[in-house]
Amino acid sequence: MTSTATPTQSLPDAELAHYNPKSESAGTKRVKSTVFHLVALALTAVVLYPGLWMIASAFKPNSEIGGSNTSLWSNNFSFDNFVTAMDGIGGVSTLQFFTNSLILAIGAVVGTILSASVSAYAFARIKFPGRSIFFGMMIATLLLPFHVVIIPQYIVFQQLGLVDTYVPLLIGKFLAADAFFVFLMVQFMRNLPAELDEAARIDGAGHVRIFTSIMLPLMKPALISTSIFSFIWSWNDFLGPLLYLNTPDKYPLPLALRLFVDQTQSSDYGAMIAMSVLALLPVLIFFLVFQRYIVEGVSTQGLKG
Amino acid sequence: MINRRHFLTTVAVGTASAAALAACGTGSSTSAGETGSAENPVTINYTWWGNDDRAERTRKAIALFEEKNPDIKVNGNFTDFAGYWQKRATEAAGGGLPDVMQWDLSYLRDYGQRNQLLDLGTVNINTDAFEKSLLPSGQIRGKTYGIPTSTNAFAVYYDPAKLASLGIAEPDGTWTYQEFNDFLAEVGAKSNGEIFGGTDYTGVWWMFNIWLRQNNIEAFTEDGKLGFTKDDMKKWWNQTAALRGTPAIVSEERVTQLAPKSPFGSNVTATEVTWDNFMAGYLADSGATELKLAPVPSDDPDNLGLFLKPSMLMVASAKTKYKDAAARFIDFMVNDPEVGQIFKTSRGVPASKTQRDGTTFEGTDKLVVDYEKSIEQYLKDAPEPPIVGFGTLEASFKRVASDLNYGKLTIDGAADAWFKEAEDLIKQNA
Repeated sequence: MTSTATPTQSLPDAELAHYNPKSESAGTKRVKSTVFHLVALALTAVVLYPGLWMIASAFKPNSEIGGSNTSLWSNNFSFDNFVTAMDGIGGVSTLQFFTNSLILAIGAVVGTILSASVSAYAFARIKFPGRSIFFGMMIATLLLPFHVVIIPQYIVFQQLGLVDTYVPLLIGKFLAADAFFVFLMVQFMRNLPAELDEAARIDGAGHVRIFTSIMLPLMKPALISTSIFSFIWSWNDFLGPLLYLNTPDKYPLPLALRLFVDQTQSSDYGAMIAMSVLALLPVLIFFLVFQRYIVEGVSTQGLKG
Repeated sequence: MINRRHFLTTVAVGTASAAALAACGTGSSTSAGETGSAENPVTINYTWWGNDDRAERTRKAIALFEEKNPDIKVNGNFTDFAGYWQKRATEAAGGGLPDVMQWDLSYLRDYGQRNQLLDLGTVNINTDAFEKSLLPSGQIRGKTYGIPTSTNAFAVYYDPAKLASLGIAEPDGTWTYQEFNDFLAEVGAKSNGEIFGGTDYTGVWWMFNIWLRQNNIEAFTEDGKLGFTKDDMKKWWNQTAALRGTPAIVSEERVTQLAPKSPFGSNVTATEVTWDNFMAGYLADSGATELKLAPVPSDDPDNLGLFLKPSMLMVASAKTKYKDAAARFIDFMVNDPEVGQIFKTSRGVPASKTQRDGTTFEGTDKLVVDYEKSIEQYLKDAPEPPIVGFGTLEASFKRVASDLNYGKLTIDGAADAWFKEAEDLIKQNA
């Protein structure tokens, strides 16, 4: 929106004469590039180490994880932890936990995409009375800490008899309660040229037609980044399922993971880590497939102008 | 991100629920509640924390109960320990606590005083087979809120294999604090610092509590105030003043590095003072084939200050519609010998004698049961449920003691710091 014109600083003539980017010798260049790559690799190693540790630990026996064991690889390499992890917990199979997580994550993605895009269209393109007030109120919900509403919300769902169903976890997604995504899409839509929908209107298209035929296809990057974020957030959500689900058959993965660690008895860190590795895979795949869209989606927010 | 969010949540749920808890509750009718029949059974909800193993065992116990009581169905749910209390706090605020719950001693007073729990004295649960010294731990001001399922006692763990490799004789079961200190120092000296004697036992709240009892001091008075003085605390922390920073005691830095595992479970120390139900966990963590238990040291050989603590309790919600069914389920879970056979010592040593006698203990289980039998003559009344906010006090005791070990605080400074926190907290909750 705001086109920040980079002021072309004119360098003093004297300096300009000396400045020649091609004058650097090939040797200096190579040294610079090597140093840069070494530093980058070292940083990557530091950042990725926890992940590496997790994967390595998944193949270690429980007694060799943590504590005084500092070596990354164990001589007692085995798949036992994965076998335990896949056995499930208390009669519920691990596949069930995966399915539950998937249902919740896909539900969240579908709900958010449907509701947030429609709401965003209204905020960005329709002039209705009180639009800026409503928009402001929506943004204000971003500032409201989630923890403030936990108990009132719980009481509402408890009174409605919806505890121990997926309704409390998904209904908000279908009602555009995630203000962040609505905001993201509004910003994106505001950057789309208004001429396009004006042209469509002249051709006789109503709001529905403009939204489905013009806006949605143009919003692909925003829709994809929204899907990725809501998928990952739902996949990782611990507190929501903890409070609203009672029956272990309905638990998603984050709740199941915690069941391997019991402070009052023995903790099976090995199985927990093995299951963490398994739980990470879908998110990782999802991310790898869509990662170029994430950058595209986010970098086009509010920067065009 | 998850961690930070999770932490904030814990804090928020805690605070919010405290307020909300205070606002609701009260009022319980005296009738037996709705009852069912074999054709038309009532369903009660039962919830517990624990791992896969406990879930399996509980499932079996529930199946057995349903078989014997065709008019009641039990719907069992479980979560992990930390999540368990977040969930209970929210439910209590929302008025939806499950009918029957596995409970921890440190939360009993909090929920009991807020009238969230059913007075089990008003329903029919048989406690004849219980140690009389144990029952007060489930009672607050004469009302019974919890029935202990099982007990644990405090003990000194040691690894006989490590002692043998260092050529040190196993403890004979009676020792003074001086002898215990000498023993820790000997381990450290003979292993050339490779194995430490133990962790600093003066940083363990319950060990302090036991020492107070050995000196005939109760940690908390009946009206919820501190029963000991700053001087008592300084004297206690001075016990190991000479050992800190030597190979007798593992450094606090090392303890932090090893977390979440304990130094003992990581094979870094030869001894540990804690509750006897940690046996299975230590065996699994350390990979040791055998660990043994000895009583705590005492300067008065006739008064070891020991007591049985309920490792967990059974409670019912004050708002349950099925009081009679809830009571029958609790009675079954704490008294039935077959239930004992299912759980063995995984909940602790069964508290009820009928259940204990009906269970065959082998291996590790037998070790723990034998230990509790061996200290029977020293057992005194269990203390009342800890004061509200006890968890915070225990955590701050640990933190202050660890600062002491880091050398950040002097003993006087540590006692001042802890007393200030404790007095503020007690005032807040008064």
